[in-house]
Amino acid sequence: MKPRHGRAESLTIAASLALGALAWEVAGHSTSGAFWAPLSATLKNLWDITREGVLLRQCASSFQLYVSGLMLAIAVGAPLGVLLARVAWLRTALDPYIMMLYATPMVALVPFILSIMGFGFAPKVLVVFLFAVFPVIYNTVEGARSVRPELIEVAHAFRSREWQLWRDVMIPYTLPFTMTGIRQAIARGLVGMIVAEFFLSPSGLGQMIMMGSQNFDTAGMLSAILVIVVVGVGLMDLGRLLENRFAVWRGETR
Amino acid sequence: MTAVGTALAAGQPAAGNGTRPWYAAPLALQLAAGVVLLGAWEIGVRMLAPAYVARPSRVVVVFLRVLSDAQFLAAAAATLRAVLEGLLLSIMLGTVIGLAMGRVVAVERGLRYYVNSLFATPMVAILPLMSLWFGYDGDARLATVVFAALFSVVVNTCDGARAVPNDYLEVAHSFRARGWRTLLDVVLPASLPYLLAGVRLAAGRALVAAVVAEFFVSIPGLGYYILFNSRTFKHSEAFVAVIVLVAVGVGFDALINWITRRYLPWARRGG
Repeated sequence: MKPRHGRAESLTIAASLALGALAWEVAGHSTSGAFWAPLSATLKNLWDITREGVLLRQCASSFQLYVSGLMLAIAVGAPLGVLLARVAWLRTALDPYIMMLYATPMVALVPFILSIMGFGFAPKVLVVFLFAVFPVIYNTVEGARSVRPELIEVAHAFRSREWQLWRDVMIPYTLPFTMTGIRQAIARGLVGMIVAEFFLSPSGLGQMIMMGSQNFDTAGMLSAILVIVVVGVGLMDLGRLLENRFAVWRGETR
Repeated sequence: MTAVGTALAAGQPAAGNGTRPWYAAPLALQLAAGVVLLGAWEIGVRMLAPAYVARPSRVVVVFLRVLSDAQFLAAAAATLRAVLEGLLLSIMLGTVIGLAMGRVVAVERGLRYYVNSLFATPMVAILPLMSLWFGYDGDARLATVVFAALFSVVVNTCDGARAVPNDYLEVAHSFRARGWRTLLDVVLPASLPYLLAGVRLAAGRALVAAVVAEFFVSIPGLGYYILFNSRTFKHSEAFVAVIVLVAVGVGFDALINWITRRYLPWARRGG
């Protein structure tokens, strides 16, 4: 799948990136400063906020929110998913509701959270959590369907205890699917983080974008967006890495 | 009444089960779970939360009134229209770009980093930029929807165009099919399942984008309806809009599934 890195390829890629950078720079000089800032101005701004420590502080604040919400989502979602994998009647009962919540655009709940819980750290963590938790549950339950009943029967026939059944059958079988869910949760949680920072109490990278746009400091806004793009790409790669690491565990039932 | 056949809903062969009592049938279980969940919500809110917080009994009371309210219908129509227009634009643009990337090496190399990084970017982050460019009106919403939806169509179509089996292309070639005929008659149909998977992902993102854009630029729509009513403590009314959004999301998902099964029989699950 991955094409080999020939010289022509690296050249084309380098040319396209250079062209993009040039277009960014030219667009910045030929439009009003409120619309778009040149790449040079954006990079200078990025350098300034890095040196002043603003970037690090805001990133740390965003990171704290993101990781709290994501970890909570995994800590709640994965065990719940495996529990549903084991208890078939409960899974059957909750299946349609989990699917519905998985498909629900969670942003729609943000105004309720704001109105009920107000400003503060907890409601923001709740937003990230809500964005991230259902992909974890949904995919884990999806994995639960791949556990063949024969395996559980065999385990019972060999007189496995309940915890042995979990350790040797349930968890290894559902983990690859949970990882797919975590990959989705990593991406959705990032959206949730920015939504929370925009619409609840402003903080972190979201606040930097917001302030840039309100002060017509387009270079400031673009540098914050650039940071988010880089973080987004990095997190997506991390998610893929996690998923592929555990993909080999998948049974061949699918 | 036995429910042997319906046990398949859980994805397991019903063979070993013999007969089940009626109360263990999937539908009965699911209805019971629904009653329990709604009951817990109702009681929880009554005991712990202020009176204005949405709860099932109040939502039921206001449900029909909200659904027949002209203002609400206008808001729903505005949001759905923006989502559909944005999706159509994304599908048209995304198919062209995706096919080009999948079949022409130079295009793929030129666009790879841009498409991948924009695909990974949460579109919410560019909302302020969109409102600067397109003003505080519907155009900003449409632009955000397109931005959110486009790249998942591009990425998936590109994967699909690349996954076309070489045999197909060779057959087309030996029948002396021209380049564009091959593209339309072989590559496009073969990558349609991927394209639809991309559209499915795009639809969810588009819905989120439209709602967030309405929060941000305050234009009439379901998102703004929710924002406005929750600010004035009419949570139950606002919740009706959430139900409509969920119904739209689930309905669109079902529609894509149906289209794939009905019209694309060559699509095997995957991709």
